[in-house]
Amino acid sequence: MRMKLPIVAVGALALTAAAPAMAHHAFGGEFDSTRPVLLKGPIVKVEWVNPHTWIHMEVKKPDGGTEVWMIEGGSPNSLLRQGITKNSLPIGTEIVVDGYQARDHTLKRANGRNITYPDGRKLFFGSSGTGAPRDGADPTEKEPGR
Amino acid sequence: MRRRLLLVTILVGGLALAALSPAPIAGQGQAYSPPRLADGQPDLQGTYDLATLTPLERPNGMNAVLSREEVAKLEGAVAAVVALGARPSSGERAAPPKGGDGSRGAAGNVGGYNSFWLDPGSTFTMVNGEARTSIVVDPSDGRLPPLTPAARQRLGALLARPSAENDPGLDPTPGAYDDPERRPLGERCLLGFGSAAGPPALPNYFYNNLRKIVQTPDRIVILNEMVHDVRVIRMNAQHLPSHIRKWAGDSVGRWEGDTLVVDTTNFNADQIRYVVAVAPGRTLMMVESIGAEEQDRLSGPGKDLHVIERFTRVGEKALLYRFTIEDPGTWERPWTGEFTWPATDQPIYEYACHEANYALENILRGARQRDAEATKR
Repeated sequence: MRMKLPIVAVGALALTAAAPAMAHHAFGGEFDSTRPVLLKGPIVKVEWVNPHTWIHMEVKKPDGGTEVWMIEGGSPNSLLRQGITKNSLPIGTEIVVDGYQARDHTLKRANGRNITYPDGRKLFFGSSGTGAPRDGADPTEKEPGR
Repeated sequence: MRRRLLLVTILVGGLALAALSPAPIAGQGQAYSPPRLADGQPDLQGTYDLATLTPLERPNGMNAVLSREEVAKLEGAVAAVVALGARPSSGERAAPPKGGDGSRGAAGNVGGYNSFWLDPGSTFTMVNGEARTSIVVDPSDGRLPPLTPAARQRLGALLARPSAENDPGLDPTPGAYDDPERRPLGERCLLGFGSAAGPPALPNYFYNNLRKIVQTPDRIVILNEMVHDVRVIRMNAQHLPSHIRKWAGDSVGRWEGDTLVVDTTNFNADQIRYVVAVAPGRTLMMVESIGAEEQDRLSGPGKDLHVIERFTRVGEKALLYRFTIEDPGTWERPWTGEFTWPATDQPIYEYACHEANYALENILRGARQRDAEATKR
């Protein structure tokens, strides 16, 4: 039997990348590909709800003031099943988000194409060695072996 | 009038993320005698996780059943990719490229979000102790039967649709953003999207794959985690008159021995679902939602869609789910699939889709901004 390992790997890569093949809604209708954003700042609120989690973060503006951006994430259900709760992302946690702004530019909203801690670690990712997911409660926690 | 079309592409080989070896289902086999409820009907109740690595159609060049070594090899490859996705990015990274990141499908050139939100499955489905490479079992090659000429014409028109000029993220269908009712059913929180709604109940290879079954003497209810779809199956009842069309169709059930047989017809014209095979290595899932006029003109895609499902408890922790699709307007012949529903003790959370459906608001507001800009020009 001929195995198709490369195809499996490539296909899995497509799914684990930031781009879903299908989703609750049309991302292209919601977000503007001409408006890429890179946002850094502390979390001020998390809406842990369906169909999408929304993380609110405070971002410094060039003039020194601040504004609050809302970041779209996925459904929280499977994260909840992994033991991640609304306490896993405490208010004040610093995050870095890259994504695209909503097509209505009066809205400070973007998709959370890639959400990480300031050192680049992905939120929630990283095995503790026991198979349990990191809960994100401690943003200074290091990857095992790093 | 065509109202909504949504194309969804799934890489067949990639219906996989994690790396657990498939455990044979204890007690699976013909001799198993299921527990019974007080009225004597077999007890199918419980929560089941439909997520699986097994694709709907068998990838080219694969046998119907994987050896344990092959399973381990494939899952190892997938695990490596998962580990890759979990690696840190640079905290000093730049914004994504202006003009889009090239992502296709629903990700519409802007991408979606990190894969830690996803939960697409970690094991191949095990049926009779076999790790299967397709859900389709009839035709025996594990591939869907040919489309009818009319269905091929519809698919051709769908694939030939041009993208919106200079903006591949937009749906070019005229009026696609005019009001909420022109938006897809999933976006409006009416039904699960992609393969999530049904029937048939298929894995969606993405997230929120749980189903919960609750039985009473005359009704059996199946709760679908995705978008909180609820099917109420009326036992030993007649179908509604054919002009009454329902989301997820009209389901009536009966017992054949210890197997629950559910017969579904009367699908809503706006919920027509097909799964279509395309180029090798890929399965194209087409979720189509069209108006009644076009349905008549095209001699009824889905109008006569008839789904027969069979639920059999095959062990303490598993149901065997088998379904047959009859839709003479779409398929040259009926086709059948089967896969195991492993029970899970994981909770099923309320989906409450409307609660934070900012996406719909954002999409419509974006369209109003484009309208305003077009008026200025």
